Amino acid sequence: MNDFAHRLPDATREALAELLLAIADDEFVIGFWDSEWTGIAPMLEEDVATSSISQDEIGHARALYELLAELTGQDADEIAFGRRPEAYRHAALMNHPRTDWAFTVARRYLYETADAVRLEALARSSHEPLAQLAAKMRREERYHLMHLDTWLRRLAGSDAARERLAAALRMLWADALAVFSPVPDEELLVRGGELPEPMATLRSRWLEQVSPVLAGLGLPGPTSDDLTVAADDGRTRRTDAFRWLHGEFTMVAASERGATW
Amino acid sequence: MIHSGNVRAPDEELAMHYAREFYGRRQESHRLWVVARDAITELDDPDLLNPPFDRSFKRPGGYLIKHKLEAAKARANAPAGTEGSE
Repeated sequence: MNDFAHRLPDATREALAELLLAIADDEFVIGFWDSEWTGIAPMLEEDVATSSISQDEIGHARALYELLAELTGQDADEIAFGRRPEAYRHAALMNHPRTDWAFTVARRYLYETADAVRLEALARSSHEPLAQLAAKMRREERYHLMHLDTWLRRLAGSDAARERLAAALRMLWADALAVFSPVPDEELLVRGGELPEPMATLRSRWLEQVSPVLAGLGLPGPTSDDLTVAADDGRTRRTDAFRWLHGEFTMVAASERGATW
Repeated sequence: MIHSGNVRAPDEELAMHYAREFYGRRQESHRLWVVARDAITELDDPDLLNPPFDRSFKRPGGYLIKHKLEAAKARANAPAGTEGSE
């Protein structure tokens, strides 16, 4: 545990650990899903771009797991690879398989825009190591956002692709909102400034930014059902698709527990 | 300005993204210029680029300076007052 961790009351430290785990798992799991495009993306250049962006996300996850490890005295690799699927805390948005290119673009667009709102807030965190990491991540996420924005507008420009995008968005909205599901004991973090604003506030800000963009492209926003779906289990629900991915990304680590590389 | 390579992209925006991935993602670039193929003025006339005469003298390797260099070293190492005695 480092100095920052020692200064926090136990309950706040536990809540902060839950927050870090949630964000790290989001980045980790979306990084692995989209790395599934390596070799089969729509064109060679996009293959490299998608693979590179996925690698960036896993890099962010690594930095977040290390921050969490400092806070709790655990081992970062053990957190990343040593848990059962049920112990992961990514948003339900990351429960879905890769599916087709339009689906990947739709999911990534929702995630990148939500992540941008979240990182903007976290860059103001009273937990200095988190504020610094969020500021650093934002510099890399800028390009991810640009790239996904380009693809979204591109696909929305043709009828067949727009229809696929729209179908993916309709399927994903409720689960995308889970990116802003409150973390356990969130009020402690808001009081201490570790999380400068409640997730509900960030969620509204995100919807205000994203809804008009999608509407302008003829793409659907969330329905009232999507908006009222219970968010309590937004980060604890797991699917067979995720259990399959978990088997893939833990395969090497599981072959020799505690091995060093 | 150094030619880094080519990317294939449907428009300028994606061309810039892909240029960044191919020639900038390892922090090897400070700036990138992306130009569409049809905006390139090409020179491929062999009479202008590969004329038939010996042009080895236009290249540093075209000069044999080994002996001149040895003579210069010998002069430099010679005792004072003996320069120009050859």
